[in-house]
Amino acid sequence: MPCAAIPLFSMPTWGPDVGVLLELKGLVAGYGAGDILLGIDLAVDEESLTCIVGPNGAGKSTVLRVISGLLRPTRGSVRFRGESIAALSPRSILNRGIVHVPQERSLFPTMTVWENVRLGAYTVRDRGLVERRLAAVAETFPVVKERRHELAASLSGGQQKIVEFARAMMLDPLLLILDEPSMGLDPKTRTTVFNTIRTMNDAGHTVLLVEQNARSGLGIASHGVVMESGRIRLEGTGPDVLGNPEIGRLYLGAA
Amino acid sequence: MTLVLEAAVLGILTGGVYALMASGLTLIFGVMRIINVGHGALVILGAYLSFVLWRNLSIDPFVSLVVTMPVMFVLGVILQVVFIRPLKTDREALSVLVTYSIALGIEGLLGYFFSSNYLQITAWYDTASFPIGDFRITYVYIYGFLLCLAILGAIFLMLYRTTFGGAIRATMLNRTAAQLVGIDVDRVSAIAFGIGMATAAAGGVVFGITNTFNPGSHYDLISRLLTIIVLGGLGSLRGAIIAALVMLVIEDITAVVISPVWASFVFFVILVAVLLVRPQGLFGLRVRERL
Repeated sequence: MPCAAIPLFSMPTWGPDVGVLLELKGLVAGYGAGDILLGIDLAVDEESLTCIVGPNGAGKSTVLRVISGLLRPTRGSVRFRGESIAALSPRSILNRGIVHVPQERSLFPTMTVWENVRLGAYTVRDRGLVERRLAAVAETFPVVKERRHELAASLSGGQQKIVEFARAMMLDPLLLILDEPSMGLDPKTRTTVFNTIRTMNDAGHTVLLVEQNARSGLGIASHGVVMESGRIRLEGTGPDVLGNPEIGRLYLGAA
Repeated sequence: MTLVLEAAVLGILTGGVYALMASGLTLIFGVMRIINVGHGALVILGAYLSFVLWRNLSIDPFVSLVVTMPVMFVLGVILQVVFIRPLKTDREALSVLVTYSIALGIEGLLGYFFSSNYLQITAWYDTASFPIGDFRITYVYIYGFLLCLAILGAIFLMLYRTTFGGAIRATMLNRTAAQLVGIDVDRVSAIAFGIGMATAAAGGVVFGITNTFNPGSHYDLISRLLTIIVLGGLGSLRGAIIAALVMLVIEDITAVVISPVWASFVFFVILVAVLLVRPQGLFGLRVRERL
């Protein structure tokens, strides 16, 4: 993947002592009315593809919003590469290499695809680097090149999601957090989206994925996490979690 | 027929200044999702600032903008940081109260220093006019219109040709997404409020030359500006400009064809008719659900 061909940071290789990239400890957070997260402990390994599944209202999106700085935690710590980031602004967190693709559509609808992708590198001051990244991203995500002059709003839901990924890759993120990227997509488009996520992960980007569609999400995950009512209920490798009969009955809607 | 034509031309010329004032208001709404009820009072404040510079220092009212626009920009940034930024919850409703307080504060201060007597800024070229067909147009209306056109042009260039303008548009379109690409939306908000105030300063000069004003003039002004941005669609600059021209032209033509009494009424009938068909206004942003 060309994005990885112009790395900002050196990528560690797989091994038994793969480092922890992101660590949440005793995380409690919520909005005005009350706490949604009731003590989350989670470690995301470097280069892993971690997938959080769980029923609606479990607090999955809230975890991501805390990590990217959109929501301040009430208690607990968020450490990224050993540094506490819980009190930082979204912009500072972005600058440390964490990019958040939210659940709802997040392209700027009346801007062109090209303008949208370029804004992904809003915080990058080196113009030459921005141009090189643009070229690389256009190569990796053909839809960006083909539809570059069209308004983002004119793209299909699946195409918009891919362009959101492309915009996120403009920062060559260390950690990509994706909130329910398959929501509202037809099965074929969903497959494309999951393949794209796997490609980005293969290129060395650590991915933290929240998915309502647990089978697809855990299917590509190296690490699976099940959340319920603001707590983590189960963790394991993706296939292990997917194969757990109890989990299947509770969260995946299996017969 | 000449009367109608004259009314239309005058409507367009005076519409220009309303377009400028409404643009500032709709920009502030677009970026912060707040209704700045104090906008009219800030326009009147701009008129008083230029009035003082003209009366005490004999500075030409148009030239005085070199001073008043930066001053009002800074004031706008301060107002945003002190009064608007602290509103974290229920900001749509609270901002109306807060900005109304700002309006009352400004009205009170102006009343204290200037009394409630009506004033008007006059320039030496004030009465000069030139003929178009059967009627004459005062130069000062042309100058005011051209000034507004130039400032609006500068705002559009800034929005569509600069990186920071792109950040403003992104914040208007989707605040959360803007934060997620690293745009400092607090900074964008403060600067947008400053820009809104600078346009209020320019609008104030033109308003103060073409109208008499006193500290209470903002009530009438803000009601007209709010009507304009609702017709144009909240958050749409194009909408604000077109709606301002439509409003003033309709009012002026109604005034000569029917009667001045019906001028505003006819406009409101059209406003209601448009809103029945397009509740979001002519060019309104679709209001997004918040997270």
